Amino acid sequence: MQSELIKDQTRRYFFQQCWSGVGLVGLASLLNDQLFAEPTDPMAPKPPQFAPKAKRVIFLNMSGGPSQLELFDYKPKLIEMHGKPIPKSVVGDQRYAFINPESPLFGTQRKFHRYGECGMEISDLLPHTASIADEIALVKSCHTDLFNHAPAELFMNTGSGRPGRPSMGSWVTYGLGSEARGLPGFVVLHSTARGWNPGIQGGASCWSSGFIPSTYQGVVLRNQGDPVLFLSNPKGVDVQVQRDTVSAVNRFNQHRLEVTGDPEIATRIASFETAYRMQSVAPEVCDITREPKHILEMYGAPPGRASFANNVLLARRLIEHGVRFINVYHKGWDHHGTDPNQGLITTNLEEVCKDVDQACGALIKDLKQRGMLQDTLVVWGGEFGRTPMGQAPRPNHPLEFQGRDHHPNAFTVWLAGGGIKGGQTIGETDELGFHVVKDAVHVHDLQATVLYLLGLDHTKLTYKYMGRRFRLTDVSGEVVKKLLA
Amino acid sequence: MTGFGRTLGIALLAALPVLGQQNPEADRFFEMKIRPLLRNNCVGCHNDQKPTSGLSLESLGGVRNGGNRGPVAVPGKPEESRIIQAVEYNGALKMPPPGKLQDDQIADLKHWVELGMPWPDEQAAHAAAKRKGVDHWAFKAPVRYDPPKVRDGAWVRNPIDNFILARLEKEGWKPSPEADRVTLIRRLSLDLLGLPPSPAEVDQFVADRRPDAYERLVDRMLASPHYGEKWGRHWLDAARYADTNGFGFDNPRVMWRYRDWVIQALNQDMPFDEFTVKQLAGDLLPNASVNDKIATGFQRNTMINQEGGVDQEQYRIEAIFDRVATTGSVWLGLTIGCAQCHDHKYDPISQREYYELFAFFNNQEEPVMRVVPQADVERYRRITADFQVEKLKIEERIAARNAGLVDRMIAWEKGLTTEQRAKLPGNVQDILKIPPEKRELAQVEDLEKYYNEEDEQYQDLLHQREILIAAPSSRNPNQYTAMVLEEREQPRKSYVLIRGDFLKHGVEVTPGTPAVLPPLEAAHAYPTRLDLARWLVSPRNPLTSRVMVNRIWQHYFGRGIVKTSEDFGTQGEPPSHPELLDWLATEFVRDGWHLKALHRLIVTSATYRQSSNVTPDMRDRDPEDILMERAPRYRVDAEVVRDIGLAASGLLNPEIGGPSVFPPQPPGITDLSRGNMPWIVATGKDRYRRGMYTFWKRTSPYPSLLVFDEPTADTTTVRRTRSNSPMQALTTLNDEAFVEVARALAARVLREAPPDDSGRLRYAFRLCLARDPDAWEKDSLATTFETLLQRYRQEPGEARALEPAGVREDAPRFAAWFGVARMLLNLDETITRE
Repeated sequence: MQSELIKDQTRRYFFQQCWSGVGLVGLASLLNDQLFAEPTDPMAPKPPQFAPKAKRVIFLNMSGGPSQLELFDYKPKLIEMHGKPIPKSVVGDQRYAFINPESPLFGTQRKFHRYGECGMEISDLLPHTASIADEIALVKSCHTDLFNHAPAELFMNTGSGRPGRPSMGSWVTYGLGSEARGLPGFVVLHSTARGWNPGIQGGASCWSSGFIPSTYQGVVLRNQGDPVLFLSNPKGVDVQVQRDTVSAVNRFNQHRLEVTGDPEIATRIASFETAYRMQSVAPEVCDITREPKHILEMYGAPPGRASFANNVLLARRLIEHGVRFINVYHKGWDHHGTDPNQGLITTNLEEVCKDVDQACGALIKDLKQRGMLQDTLVVWGGEFGRTPMGQAPRPNHPLEFQGRDHHPNAFTVWLAGGGIKGGQTIGETDELGFHVVKDAVHVHDLQATVLYLLGLDHTKLTYKYMGRRFRLTDVSGEVVKKLLA
Repeated sequence: MTGFGRTLGIALLAALPVLGQQNPEADRFFEMKIRPLLRNNCVGCHNDQKPTSGLSLESLGGVRNGGNRGPVAVPGKPEESRIIQAVEYNGALKMPPPGKLQDDQIADLKHWVELGMPWPDEQAAHAAAKRKGVDHWAFKAPVRYDPPKVRDGAWVRNPIDNFILARLEKEGWKPSPEADRVTLIRRLSLDLLGLPPSPAEVDQFVADRRPDAYERLVDRMLASPHYGEKWGRHWLDAARYADTNGFGFDNPRVMWRYRDWVIQALNQDMPFDEFTVKQLAGDLLPNASVNDKIATGFQRNTMINQEGGVDQEQYRIEAIFDRVATTGSVWLGLTIGCAQCHDHKYDPISQREYYELFAFFNNQEEPVMRVVPQADVERYRRITADFQVEKLKIEERIAARNAGLVDRMIAWEKGLTTEQRAKLPGNVQDILKIPPEKRELAQVEDLEKYYNEEDEQYQDLLHQREILIAAPSSRNPNQYTAMVLEEREQPRKSYVLIRGDFLKHGVEVTPGTPAVLPPLEAAHAYPTRLDLARWLVSPRNPLTSRVMVNRIWQHYFGRGIVKTSEDFGTQGEPPSHPELLDWLATEFVRDGWHLKALHRLIVTSATYRQSSNVTPDMRDRDPEDILMERAPRYRVDAEVVRDIGLAASGLLNPEIGGPSVFPPQPPGITDLSRGNMPWIVATGKDRYRRGMYTFWKRTSPYPSLLVFDEPTADTTTVRRTRSNSPMQALTTLNDEAFVEVARALAARVLREAPPDDSGRLRYAFRLCLARDPDAWEKDSLATTFETLLQRYRQEPGEARALEPAGVREDAPRFAAWFGVARMLLNLDETITRE
């Protein structure tokens, strides 16, 4: 590791990054090719392995597991069989987190229509998403390995159900670096639906860099205080004092570099300069009030409160400034129907759909009008789906369904933008929506596809640790060819 | 059929191989396609131990013998083979029962029968793997080589130097000159104690002209109780120590007694074999003491998933997987975890052997033990009594609030206006529409739930109770507990788990160790963890001593003699100095596994005492310093970054051990993860404890430690990454905790230094860097001070914000001293071991 990091300095890095106010006289003399032959600042942009279709990713993580049966996967047979027990032949020996596998089936009460030229079937809960039907590829055949929140969220983000592996954003910035100047390359945004405790279940492990250097870990932009941790100058330190301090630190560091010859000091100097720049750039980029009124209205993003819509708009501003990978979490999709205040698939699902729908539609349209949709990949999805069987608020009233349990066998995600063939629906589930019957897409397949679109081969983007070459997709994953434009 | 299979088919048809005959290409086809297919789909029921219907598909013999119903296949004739009919789901017999195989799998199987069912000779294959293993250097016993002869004998201080210098001389290179005394004392202090030396300690050492001044210094440091903290922290990385359970509901746990056990054991120089045995099986020792049991906390550092709806068995098994992998990495330097789902791809460890190791750890309960040291009995009783009073107080308030709830709810309902009703959640409105006398109990309870949730004061009371019960506070009697292991009377049965799936049992296994290593000597027919522990530290084990000395070496030199300190297997890097590694390993064992002696040996070598300065030539010929032509220069570990600032500023509270603490962190950090645990920032002395005592919450770790690569403790870490990033710069520049340190450093300088500016600048510099500033640095310090002073004179408001309490210095001057202190604390050299 030490050696890999020691190599992490370069002449190019110096001239690109390390430049501003401080006079580093004498540095040039140290920059002989021998000393700095090996490339790269760890976050400097790196070429992909092959021509990419997308340059950046916005991953809209619907934390809790949205019900595909209320939103995308319309099942008339399920409605017909409402209240009947699910046939044993369908369930097999599937286990569930909370319900009894023999629970009765629950037909949706939502109305579905066909939208766009492609005639994509979408529920009445998502009118704005329906308006971008021709841009998105709907995958109804996703499936995962895990049926509890934390492990399934980790699986979606890191390819493993146990904490400790690098997350997708870490892999991507490790592979491609970032073009963002004065901003982190991998950013995490989060919001919570009304009535839910904040905090996604997988926690910081979902954007952890695991065993690869912490440079690649996701940086959470905060909804309170500084948008980036420790971004503001402390009390008693104004901009000028900060500039003077950073300059002095770097002069002393450069002096020490001359004495010791340790190029790691050069990286430290660059880090301080980037940090200083981040202090002026990040607050400006994070300030969505700089957006015109019509854009704020388009997203449904009233500035000044933490919301998914604000975060999506912020994500768009961040990618404009070169950020490589963004996770936008919205928690509040875990509709079991057992908690009358938050978990009802009737009223509460409608609320959380309203939280996200308009901003999702706006994001795609806005990216398109800015010419950025073609090389920005947008992914929408949760960690698993929900069961065709119902769950009721009271155990003695099995037919008063208000929700559904976690379902790993089938769920729906959509993708749009860079390299995605929009206006198509991929995959099918059986007539009860229980199993995938056509074009199954495993989470590792989805991850392989995201990397592929960025010009990275998921089997070749590896990091050797504990004697093994680890990768995002563990030991499986195939690029989903049907998704590609 | 796959392309691979088809090509192979054509190639092999002519040969028409016979069952059991060797053919490398057919073997490859079998290994790639058929063996995994059989293992994943068939062997769970049809194995040698438990051949359902008399059939085993686990071995050549089993396939030859067929099942209760006769032969399973006719070689060369898939259409007449029962196995093919079964997988095609054609007749009454449908295999495998859970669901039909994929079409290409069936095609592969047919093709295999067509080929005559080649099956590589198991024994030959295993023997080959074992041969490969035995040939691998790390599986052979270490040999004690004589230290080699060197030309420059005067440089050598102990045998380590013979090995290093001999290698350098082979290249025609020379070692670097010895570092100066100030560098040496700072290096030693950071390496052995994780703290910088005070200016007084530096002066004393520089002035000590006795020939053994250095050795005396080393002995003094090894006797310091801070030694156990510094080296304990390295061990805690390996132990994946944390203060919470991990996963979604990341609740607090009480684990610090184990952490303190480690510190104490190292300070007492407990021999490493004993240290090992206690952590693996302290509970199984005859007359196990409370401390012996606390030591098993090592095994309890695994995560616990408390999410609703999880299968506890699944996560019990996950924890055992973690224990097997951790044991492999920490003691054997082997990536044993790789054999969880299949035979190890590179090292001679079969999946079955993996589950034999697993079986050692599958036979215990995981209780929480009450620990009340005699000295604490009275305190414990007081705390417990106080705690009960506190709890009762809150509960009384809860009860008082609930008295008359029914009537209040009736009044509330009556008082609701139509508009208020319309704003209520749908389900509440629905219930209210039902006349009160017609409501069911469940409906009334739903109503009450809503009513309670809207009552903020009541919610606050409930929250207070929750915090009181769960909080990791020193006033909570739960701190008098420890998480330990306890062996079950009746062993659990263990099985090979097919592809690591806890629901898919393969053959039954009993505890055992990998065949490539020396055999286990067990006291009883059914070996226990104690036998495993003793086997690990048996002098015959070729790995443990090497792995441990290598890791110690790595912490000093930034790189192990085996760079891949976690992997001594065939995929690991070979040692740079194999004879030295073996010499150190044998010396370690010969000396009775004493770690302090090993430390003394290393730090008194000439190799260790070299300067870390590097010339372009040196970097060019050996960028990684593999041959150790110089000492390494690297940024210190996360906790030490914090400790250096605390020590320099005089804020450090050097207390050792006790419950974990809550130094300042920005609000909202823990909001992003679950677990009902408030971060109540310490206001007293606990605010300034060493970094290693910071409460470690796995899903939202303390940001200023995480940013400097403190491991998250999800799994074992025997080698940290060492990154260098802008986020680190933001942290040391702006984090309130670091700013507080800068202010304290400024105040200390004004308090303690000679009262002139140059004396103060020199003192501040020495507090951070130990050495004196050179001429350029002296000038630059003065310039920096002047620049900041000018600035603060222009902006006295900023200066006043720094609130110089109890300092006799005007606000701008104090602010300028603060600025200098902050600058010094942010220097690369301050957080670097040179």
